[in-house]
Amino acid sequence: MAFSSMTELAPGKVFAIQNSFELDGRISAYPKSARGACVSNCYLIREPDGAFLLDTGYGAHEKPILAQLASVLEPDVPLTLVPTRINEFMSVGNGMAIAERFNVVMCYSPQPDAADWLDFKAVDPGAERREIPTTLLRGLLNLDVGSAGERMIDVFSAPLRLINTTWVFDPETRILFSSDMFTHRSQPTDAGPWLIEEDRVTTSAFVRSFLLDTRYWWLEGAETGSLRRGIADVIERYDIDMIAPGYGAIFKGRELVERQFAVLDDVLRELDCSVTKPAYVPRGKRR
Amino acid sequence: MSGMTNNPLPRELAPGVFWLGNCLEQHYRGRSYHGYNSCYLVLGDRAALLVETGHPKDFPIIERQMGPILARHDVPLRHLFITHQETPHSGGLGRFLARHDGLTVHGDISDYHMAFPQFADRLRPMEVGDAIDLGGRMFMTAEPVVRDIGTTLWGFDAGERVLFPGDGFAYSHYHWDGHCGLVAEEATSLDLIETAAVFAELALFWTNFADMRLYVDRLYELIEELEVTLVAPTHGLPILDLAVTMPKVCEGLVGANREAAE
Repeated sequence: MAFSSMTELAPGKVFAIQNSFELDGRISAYPKSARGACVSNCYLIREPDGAFLLDTGYGAHEKPILAQLASVLEPDVPLTLVPTRINEFMSVGNGMAIAERFNVVMCYSPQPDAADWLDFKAVDPGAERREIPTTLLRGLLNLDVGSAGERMIDVFSAPLRLINTTWVFDPETRILFSSDMFTHRSQPTDAGPWLIEEDRVTTSAFVRSFLLDTRYWWLEGAETGSLRRGIADVIERYDIDMIAPGYGAIFKGRELVERQFAVLDDVLRELDCSVTKPAYVPRGKRR
Repeated sequence: MSGMTNNPLPRELAPGVFWLGNCLEQHYRGRSYHGYNSCYLVLGDRAALLVETGHPKDFPIIERQMGPILARHDVPLRHLFITHQETPHSGGLGRFLARHDGLTVHGDISDYHMAFPQFADRLRPMEVGDAIDLGGRMFMTAEPVVRDIGTTLWGFDAGERVLFPGDGFAYSHYHWDGHCGLVAEEATSLDLIETAAVFAELALFWTNFADMRLYVDRLYELIEELEVTLVAPTHGLPILDLAVTMPKVCEGLVGANREAAE
């Protein structure tokens, strides 16, 4: 039984749109050896007169995501899309379907012409396509969720990334939306839980293995000093009560948040070339 | 602005190996760069194989480029090999499968069943060393030395010894100086070291932090092991003279702008 849920992270303000998938060695964000279940998370940040959607989900989840969105978002509310990884299917898979159903007024993207990056279906070159106004993501942007300037969020480049990746911080709810970082908490079954306030799984050894066996294979023996400084800057700059990643369980509570950052810093410190000898890492090497 | 005008492709790079696709304009530090989102068509006696889908927006262009070649050689498109899951490489998957009956997708097939569940039964997983018989020529998977996502696989045409390295050998070119459609050695005004370094800084973030000399060493070994004569990258211009061009690309990779790491 697939898990599909709209979780209200902050009443009326932030919603997690969570849909499960099986871990069977065919999900690029997880180690080939990982088994069990996980969720993809899209997030709706909203005000009465405007909303932001972070990521649009896999095509396989199109129907539930459209229904979940419709349950909390009226079709006329101006909606802004922020695909946090414009090159990845989980971020962009339903962008066009959402634009056709809801009042998408803007897309923030590192590439111009967002519609070119969100449309995967139309075979007919003459078919009419919904165009989406695009604003380029560059540096740190402070954006208004509504129109009154009362709900500003920070949108910025992820300090540790593989592909072009965006993180978002919402000061009002103190939630950090971390895209493909802090995604290591899968579960044995799709029953979850997918919002956790206790965590005995996150250890340095576990996170090290997870990072090296997924999209951060290159960290072994890398120069991690500036990466650590970039991550430390985020936790120092923002008052974070919750980490909301693009995949996996959401971490709730200051103590849990601080632990996630501390473990990540510890892993990066140990992987630095001053501690770990650099090595060529072939595809599929498990660590 | 994206896309380009006066697209000079397709171009036959070696017998039965055709370069298809289109450019994508990008701006960086006040300068305009063109990068390719190339695909390559490999023709066997019985079947044709397409490497990469191109950028999703380029599907009509690639179809127009490919159709006459397939018709002229009377070979059906049977296989689609994709180096990795990033959408400029794989985003056209659904469109190609919808248009071409009997076409199957090969490579590391992670995520595609989630992105295109309606085509899950047409995905065929491959690992390094696996091969596809096109009739009179074998298409193989090769070790992905430089990758943009962990699931990357490189392709290799054993017939003409062509390496398809996806995001490896990635660099932009100068549209304003007529480089579109040229191979690297023909684009004499192109500063390969600089454009390879810029591309690495922009699109291969990790190369700013890892010791790329180790990866370059392995790259040279692989080129020698496979006896590669032609490199057909997805974003860079094709390379016909490895002795001349490969050192420049590798210098750009090793010297990838280190600002981010400092």
